[in-house]
Amino acid sequence: MSLSNLIKNWSNFRTRRPYEGQYDDSPYKWAMVIDLDSCIGCNACTVACYAENNLPVVGKERFGKGHAMHWIRIERYWGEGETLETEFPERGAQYLPMLCQQCEAAPCEPVCPVGATHHSPDGLNTQVYNRCVGSRYCSANCPYKVRYFNWWNYPERAWPNPLELQLNPDVTVRSKGVMEKCTFCMQRLRAGMDKAKTDGRILADGEVVTACAQACPTSAITFGNLADKNSKVAKMWKTQQVDLAKNVQEKTEDGIRGYRILEDLNTYPSIVYLERLRNMAS
Amino acid sequence: MNYCKKLFVWMFLIVIGTSLVSAEPFVQGGPIGSQTSDGYDALGPVVEQPIEFPHNTHAGRMQINCMYCHTYARRSNVSGIPRLDKCMGCHNLIEGVKDRPRIKKLFEYWANKQPIPWKKVHDLPDFVRFNHERHIQRFYFQEKRPVRETCGYCHGYIASMTTARRVKALSMGWCISCHEKDHLEKVGSTVTSHGPNDCWLCHK
Amino acid sequence: MSMGNMDRRDFLRVLGISGAAATLAGCGNTAIESGVEEVMSYVQPQDFVVPGIGVFYASTCTQCGSGCGIMGKVREGRVLKLEGNPESAISAGKICGLGQAAVQAHYNPDRLRTPMMRSEGGLIPVSWDKATQMLEQRLGPTSTLKGDQIAFLTGDISGHQRVLLENFLESYDSTHHVLYDAISRVTGQAASKAVLGAEQPLLNIDKARLILSFGNDFLGAGVSPVHMAAQYAKFRKAPRGTLIQIEPRMTLTGGNADRWYPIKPGTEGILALGIAHDLLQHEEFAKGVPDEVHALVKQYDQASVSEITGIGADAVHLIAGQLWNNSPSLVIAGPGAEGHAYGFSNVVAIQLLNVILANRGKTIEGQAEHPFPQLAPLQGGYRALAKLHEQMASGQCQALLIHGTNPVFTSPSNLPFADSMEKVPFKVAFVTHLDETAGNCDLVLPLLSAMEDFGTHVADYQPNGVELMVQQPLMEKLYPESRGFGDILLDILKKRKPDSYTAFPDYYSYIKTAVVKAKPVFKVTDSDDHFWEDALRKGVIKWEGKPTALEAKLSLLEVPKPRGLEADYPFYFVPSVRPDMRDGRHAYLPWLQESPETMTTIVWDSWVEIHPKTAAEMQIREGDVLVVQSATGSVRAVAYIFPGIQPDTVSMPLGQGHTQLGRFATGVGVNPYKILDPVFDAHTGELALHATRVTLRKTGENQNVVKDEGPTNFQNGHKLVATLDADQAKLSKEI
Repeated sequence: MSLSNLIKNWSNFRTRRPYEGQYDDSPYKWAMVIDLDSCIGCNACTVACYAENNLPVVGKERFGKGHAMHWIRIERYWGEGETLETEFPERGAQYLPMLCQQCEAAPCEPVCPVGATHHSPDGLNTQVYNRCVGSRYCSANCPYKVRYFNWWNYPERAWPNPLELQLNPDVTVRSKGVMEKCTFCMQRLRAGMDKAKTDGRILADGEVVTACAQACPTSAITFGNLADKNSKVAKMWKTQQVDLAKNVQEKTEDGIRGYRILEDLNTYPSIVYLERLRNMAS
Repeated sequence: MNYCKKLFVWMFLIVIGTSLVSAEPFVQGGPIGSQTSDGYDALGPVVEQPIEFPHNTHAGRMQINCMYCHTYARRSNVSGIPRLDKCMGCHNLIEGVKDRPRIKKLFEYWANKQPIPWKKVHDLPDFVRFNHERHIQRFYFQEKRPVRETCGYCHGYIASMTTARRVKALSMGWCISCHEKDHLEKVGSTVTSHGPNDCWLCHK
Repeated sequence: MSMGNMDRRDFLRVLGISGAAATLAGCGNTAIESGVEEVMSYVQPQDFVVPGIGVFYASTCTQCGSGCGIMGKVREGRVLKLEGNPESAISAGKICGLGQAAVQAHYNPDRLRTPMMRSEGGLIPVSWDKATQMLEQRLGPTSTLKGDQIAFLTGDISGHQRVLLENFLESYDSTHHVLYDAISRVTGQAASKAVLGAEQPLLNIDKARLILSFGNDFLGAGVSPVHMAAQYAKFRKAPRGTLIQIEPRMTLTGGNADRWYPIKPGTEGILALGIAHDLLQHEEFAKGVPDEVHALVKQYDQASVSEITGIGADAVHLIAGQLWNNSPSLVIAGPGAEGHAYGFSNVVAIQLLNVILANRGKTIEGQAEHPFPQLAPLQGGYRALAKLHEQMASGQCQALLIHGTNPVFTSPSNLPFADSMEKVPFKVAFVTHLDETAGNCDLVLPLLSAMEDFGTHVADYQPNGVELMVQQPLMEKLYPESRGFGDILLDILKKRKPDSYTAFPDYYSYIKTAVVKAKPVFKVTDSDDHFWEDALRKGVIKWEGKPTALEAKLSLLEVPKPRGLEADYPFYFVPSVRPDMRDGRHAYLPWLQESPETMTTIVWDSWVEIHPKTAAEMQIREGDVLVVQSATGSVRAVAYIFPGIQPDTVSMPLGQGHTQLGRFATGVGVNPYKILDPVFDAHTGELALHATRVTLRKTGENQNVVKDEGPTNFQNGHKLVATLDADQAKLSKEI
């Protein structure tokens, strides 16, 4: 939703839900597929994100208070229920790369009192730092807990000279009191989309990918344009029978792995996860 | 002065003001920090540069295209300060001015292989991204507007200045006011479009 | 890349200035400004350099020995980010977290910026003039050092820096190049060599239907993890292979296993023999196996193996069944099996399985033969260091030069390396950061970072032919006083042997000449300049070679003799190697300190992993401060309750506990190297890293464990990470 829509049509915006064919006229709708059977939990994506997006290192004390600023993190679970039923995790650990799900009906968006977070025309859940007043409502309302608040003025201490020379000039260094989150590497997308526009075309599949997808040693992360029906990501969503505009997915047969996390909250995420596999006979 | 007269003068000023707006890009702003009647023209401070570069000679008298020197503007986010060897490429051959103090300074920088520490004149906040390439491509190459109008919309009538001075507010409202206008898609076409207005287009 | 080296460096230098100025002022401008910030012009850039658009240069990652090709994104004279280089078969366009953090090593605020020299009261900064004077006095043409009087101690080394280093030693009639790596692979390599005839066989993970790994963390801290991860991803595609991991403490790879078994540390070889016993019941496998193997394996029936290893009798049978149902399989031994007094025998027993299962030539092959043996990587281990230590302590060693290793930090307490260093009159360290070993030296020389230097590297593990990796500077040096390792050696050599070396103005010209001279081997017909530019552009020169055949020698097979627990020390102590910290040399990188260790999600600390059952018996809660006591020493750390560990075992991560390595490493956690028992492998004499026994003592203190995981480790019925039986998935239909 654009700025003028945001101002003129506020109440509509608050109750918006995705609908079929929403992105048919749009050149882009960014989306992702993460294969949990390929993810090995190696943290290459998280470090890549630190490097690309100017994420501050907060140190032990602040990390302990939950102030860590990792836009993508590897969660590790031991069991699906409330306990580990066996003495040992004999089917391995459960790794989950968790980043902003870029929900189509994002719980964070309508609660922002100043419209600092909104939905972009290419389907991203954005955060405008200079508009943010730091109410933190969005973070409270996010079921995935992927919004990160700047409790401190990190630019002053997180990059002692000359570490700041590594900062990416295309990404704002956030200061105290603002919320931040995964942007699907908007700076990369924007640069690519601008170039493509100058050439009078749309971005080719795989021409621009996020930093996490580019680094991933097992290529577990597939990123692309869902509005382009021929993109790999669109084909994967289709084969996995996940529909962006549905909150209950109907699968024609068993064994189709695609699912979206906490879909029952009607958030309509833009990331499809593929179920982790285990050879239960072994 | 009675009330009517005051009103008349005021209205007159507004009319002048509006006509000046329509005569963009050649309008200059008001005093430093001021907001003129259209709210958007504002004169920045005079910035002292290491070399008092005469834009009026290059762009004015010599009629050199802005992009002859600011060559990155059509290819990159930033227009870039011309590379030093670009200056030297011409000035090596212009014997008549080699003894002038400004040119001497230039030769000194070149001899030391030192970059010239220019001061930024049009410096947007760090959370804003402005893409020169898209604007040049859209208005200069697609719509075939004169280069001075294209660049001058934001930078003013540089051909009348020595070192550049900011004459536009460059504020968000000013950007939006233009993005909301209908612009011809192409030269000779009647199809119009306005600029994008998504937050993340300019905020990074 | 039409300009030569010097031009490129000059232009980078100029850019370096402008880039620095632009960024320093670039933090925190929130208004529209005029005349505040500086914007500098390029002086004479190359035509493809456009301000605001990054240029990628190919280079080589030097963070570990894997030799991955990387690409550095350079903008306004600064290297901003590293990506994998698709040209290299090793990294294939991918990169790990450790590799990404190389930029932080380069920009690290604690980098050594000037030479340091010992004077009364410690190391003080000195000029290069003074440092050179001292080098020349001690090592120059008038030096009388000869043979073993001089020693060059390094970590893994390959390429032309190895050649130059050996030539340097040769000028003293010495071959005293001592290689030391704290996470040594010597035992495993020796055993592989003994059985298969190859120290590091080629593992075709993608071709295997089943992988049985005995404590090999090949996806994390193993050999060439980025390459292995890509292979693993193929292995998991249809038809999906199965991974069975057997190890006392769950590694990153163990967390990915279809089935994970906790084994009593050191009994891996026995389990392998037990599986062999089961397999040899089948005629198909039994034929061709020598009688002595049959005789030896016979005693390891399921019941006795189960008793020794702690793994159920049915599990042994199940694993054997999986192996014969899924061919070709691949059996890998890892540090968990190697690090014992009979680690060699363990690995031999494990490799026996590959022979019985006829995996040779299918999933396990020999690496291609090396066209340039003089450039091949060298690795070392504990035994070489111990020998050097003795020589030093006896006063034989007159000059010690150290590069790429930190023995004062990593040596166990039975080998007090700092003490023997005192007996050496002249010690030089070549470092980018002042570490514990450099802190004990007389002269410390500041090196260029990996982002600033030229070099050539040959990886330990060559998946496809042999690749000569080229490293080139991604930006101009940050500190004028820092110098390249090769340049320093070359300078000394020029004085000692002017005839041979004056032709080379610097290390760059040395490697360029050497690489170009090797052109015929690569069967390239380009001009010399073209060949070299192409090498720089691609970052890799490929030599095509075929995998070689492996032997099968079973004569060395013998019975591993696991050592049990003792009453005084009732726990096995298994130190874990973190994929990002490795032996501890990377602890000064803030991204890695803040990157949660995946299995525990703990950051910025050391911890003791304990099985929940054991913790309950001992009434230990998470965060209880424990003293871990071995026969040789003790360390204090917080307890972390961890289900992925054998209940008689406790584990601590290596790499933390630095006393000197900059602000991000110093004072973080404790150093478990110092409590390792002096147990050595019977065949190779290597320190057995996994053979320590400890006891735990509670201190009564409790601290908050700083970790990323929330209050629960479980999904509580939410579908977060869903698991599907692999049989039900329709992988072949997927895209």
